[in-house]
Amino acid sequence: MAAIFLFLYLPIIVIIIYSFNGGRNLYVWTEWSTHWYGEAIDNPRALSALYVSIRTAVINAMIAVSFGVFAGIALARRKGAWTVPYLGLIFVILGIPELVSAIGQMIWFDRLGIFDGITRLSIGHSLFNVAVVALIVRARAEGLGESLEHAAADLGARPWRGFIDITLPLMFPAVLAGLLLSFTFSFDDVIISLFVQRPGTSTFPIYILSAMKAGLKGDVAALAVMMLFLSMIGIVIAAWLIARGGRGRTLGGLLG
Amino acid sequence: MAWPALVWWTVFFIVPLFWIVLYSFGSRPGAEAPGPVALETLSFDNYRQALSEIFFRVFQITMRTAGLGTILCALIGFPVAYAIAMHVPPRWRSILVFLLIVPYWTSFLLRTFAWRIILAPQGTLSEVLQAIGILGRPLLILDTNAAVQLGIVYNYLPVMILPIYVALERIDTSLIKASMDLGAGPLQTFLQVTLPLAAPGLFGGLVLTFILAAGDYVVPTILGGTKGLMVGNLIATQILASQNLPLGSAMAVMLIGLLAGVLILVALLLFVLQRLLKLVRGAPL
Repeated sequence: MAAIFLFLYLPIIVIIIYSFNGGRNLYVWTEWSTHWYGEAIDNPRALSALYVSIRTAVINAMIAVSFGVFAGIALARRKGAWTVPYLGLIFVILGIPELVSAIGQMIWFDRLGIFDGITRLSIGHSLFNVAVVALIVRARAEGLGESLEHAAADLGARPWRGFIDITLPLMFPAVLAGLLLSFTFSFDDVIISLFVQRPGTSTFPIYILSAMKAGLKGDVAALAVMMLFLSMIGIVIAAWLIARGGRGRTLGGLLG
Repeated sequence: MAWPALVWWTVFFIVPLFWIVLYSFGSRPGAEAPGPVALETLSFDNYRQALSEIFFRVFQITMRTAGLGTILCALIGFPVAYAIAMHVPPRWRSILVFLLIVPYWTSFLLRTFAWRIILAPQGTLSEVLQAIGILGRPLLILDTNAAVQLGIVYNYLPVMILPIYVALERIDTSLIKASMDLGAGPLQTFLQVTLPLAAPGLFGGLVLTFILAAGDYVVPTILGGTKGLMVGNLIATQILASQNLPLGSAMAVMLIGLLAGVLILVALLLFVLQRLLKLVRGAPL
């Protein structure tokens, strides 16, 4: 089993080590050096792509949370005939090859012709993430049960008061986890961005992908490692928040 | 409260899918016509072209790579899931699941890219293998289907392990004890109690892994080169490089159709198998 975990982490360890390879050829180890980190930070195209990625990820995460939280609470609290097809749609959104959804969005955005690059990217990334947030919030709401909301109602709170003062605060860890995950998934996304981007608004992963195709140098590895650390922070906090609420089960159910 | 999300998905997810289907029946416009697709006369021409020999071959390779990748993931993943669920104390289980998910959630692109460093012909692994005499020449699997296969197994292993783990962890251990008390050996208990109870998780893992692997774009693009092509690259090339949106759309529709077909087939097979077992043993699976 240890071998499997080593296998899963091997590429991450390797890329971190090789980003400190001072040699001209990334693949052949020569000496320890932070040379490429200097080059990477000094690259205006990479920095502007990073800025596009961060703006996109933030807008996308706000969309994902504002739609996803209500969908998640409704799925847990207002169960009915509608829940099954609704969940079905969520699983189609999560399971469909990203490529297909990306092509459809490219066609549709081009026909609409009203969105700028960042808006196209943010909407494109948000579709998957609304579904992710809905599932995380649903798991939390189901895990907690309704007793606190019932207590509020018994004590005379109107439904909307109970919702704002009890339900929403209780959802906070799930919302925070959803926010972080949405940010990270958007920040790491390649396929949707590749199709819906406009000239001039390439995201950071797209910049890395094109740099890789043009020929690999250490600066790409250095950029990659910086990106890895940024997303790793978000993921570790999000996974911890989710795991604390529902143990391994919720985490397992969320994969995909 | 569920409405805003539904409206959002309808406008930006469901509507675009209809456009793909419509575009797949269109044709490339003439030189002076505006827009990316001519929709005046709709035909099946793109589907005919997508089924031509060269493209059909890529579909075949994709199904084989995804299928083999799924089987390999299951063979590696089941023992891992079993070990975590059955032989690890509960306190450590969440930590291991956490460790399993963290790499999966971090950038797919970078983890795939790192394999280029590991597998490089002039890289460390290649040198070590040559030094100890396993290889007589540099490691040459980059930019082939073998590298794509490795990348697929690597990337989707957690997708296989987690659903199986969730199913195994839910099993009431008293059922296993009861089976042993009633005289069944470990193997018989595994086959007749544990495996059937884990079947939904295994099924979920198989389906999810296959769908994700068959539609992958990043792994074949980075590790496959020109020899390790999959449908994902083929579609992207048609749309982004050849500007042939109608043909790319038709291929995307075919990919979805194929995946749906495989899903239905597997579900039917499972259903028939269950019925057969019921007939043979007189008990539900």
